[in-house]
Amino acid sequence: MAYQSGVPDQQFLWDIFRRVDKDGSGYISADELQMALSNGTWSPFNPETVRLMIGMFDRENRGTVSFQDFGALWKYVTDWQNCFRSFDTDNSGNIDKNELKTALTAFGYRLSDGIVDTLMRKFDRFGRGTILFDDFIQCSVILYTLTSAFKQYDTDMDGVITIHYEQFLSMVFALKI
Amino acid sequence: MAYQGGPYSGNPYNPNQPGGYGGYPGAPGGYAPPSGYAPPPGAYAPQNSSVSSDVQKWFDMVDRDRSGKITAAELKLALVNGKGENFSDNACKLMISMFDHDASGTIDITEFEKLYGYINQWLAVFKTYDRDQSGHIEEQELSQAFTQMGFRFSPQFVEFLVKKCDPGNKKQISVDQFIVLCVQIQRFTEAFRARDTEQRGVITINFEDFLSVAIGCSI
Repeated sequence: MAYQSGVPDQQFLWDIFRRVDKDGSGYISADELQMALSNGTWSPFNPETVRLMIGMFDRENRGTVSFQDFGALWKYVTDWQNCFRSFDTDNSGNIDKNELKTALTAFGYRLSDGIVDTLMRKFDRFGRGTILFDDFIQCSVILYTLTSAFKQYDTDMDGVITIHYEQFLSMVFALKI
Repeated sequence: MAYQGGPYSGNPYNPNQPGGYGGYPGAPGGYAPPSGYAPPPGAYAPQNSSVSSDVQKWFDMVDRDRSGKITAAELKLALVNGKGENFSDNACKLMISMFDHDASGTIDITEFEKLYGYINQWLAVFKTYDRDQSGHIEEQELSQAFTQMGFRFSPQFVEFLVKKCDPGNKKQISVDQFIVLCVQIQRFTEAFRARDTEQRGVITINFEDFLSVAIGCSI
């Protein structure tokens, strides 16, 4: 990806970590992370995105993130921020349908307008015809997960797969329950 | 593998059919014929415009801001699972969206009455499968629940679902997870079935169609 930031130094990260870890437990919970993150509006950060991110960096599998894992998480959020800004061409703080289309094309997807519409409807949490930063992350991660699952079966790369019932179900359960 | 004769047929999880099939959905022995959903036998007659005092009482308790509408957030605060946790955001969002017919993101009292009945049905179903009355369902109990609902899943797949629900690896499913799981399986199964015209348990699907099902049917 072209949006990668450098690795921040430990003292800098530790300062942020302590501020995010409000109860001083040494671990960042989903609630603490949600409070620390902003989507550019007064509405709370998408809890699903928070869960996705905790799940990605929680190597101890306890539903929280330790300081050891925090560096990677912080970098991930920063990279997404840069990515989001680069596609928010009118600097509105959100992404409209055209900007989403440009972003997805840049990610390497070739999707019809119909699918882009479906994505807009799904991830436009407030029904304003735009997607916020947190929803953009969720949208991209889910799309990536589903595409990877599909590619695994599409060995001849023709964009069509034949799958069994249970295989299908395993693939579409991309979201946690 | 596969499901001869369409094991997912007649699965009665449909919010518009409360009270069908012998009391509550999934009641042992109470399945609809494979041809589809029988109309609900007079449950929640719409002509009865006044809601019961019980429903009114619950509505007033859940509607904290007294707006006359219930949001997913208000529902979440009102519902607690057997682990003592509030219902998940996903479960509340899903249940609101099922009864929110004007797509406002909220439900009014008549919609709430249906939701109230729906949740009570699920609680009853959950209790029948939670045989040791632990307040959660274990993998073994979940597997039996699916079988009785008419699904034939391999042990590996049930294990996969449990892991999805419970990353902490305690292998326990709470009632809100159970509801989300069953509703999702129902939706995805219907989508699969619509494409499995020969009922072979196999479909051929292109990338865009796959994406639209996965995204469109999920919460």
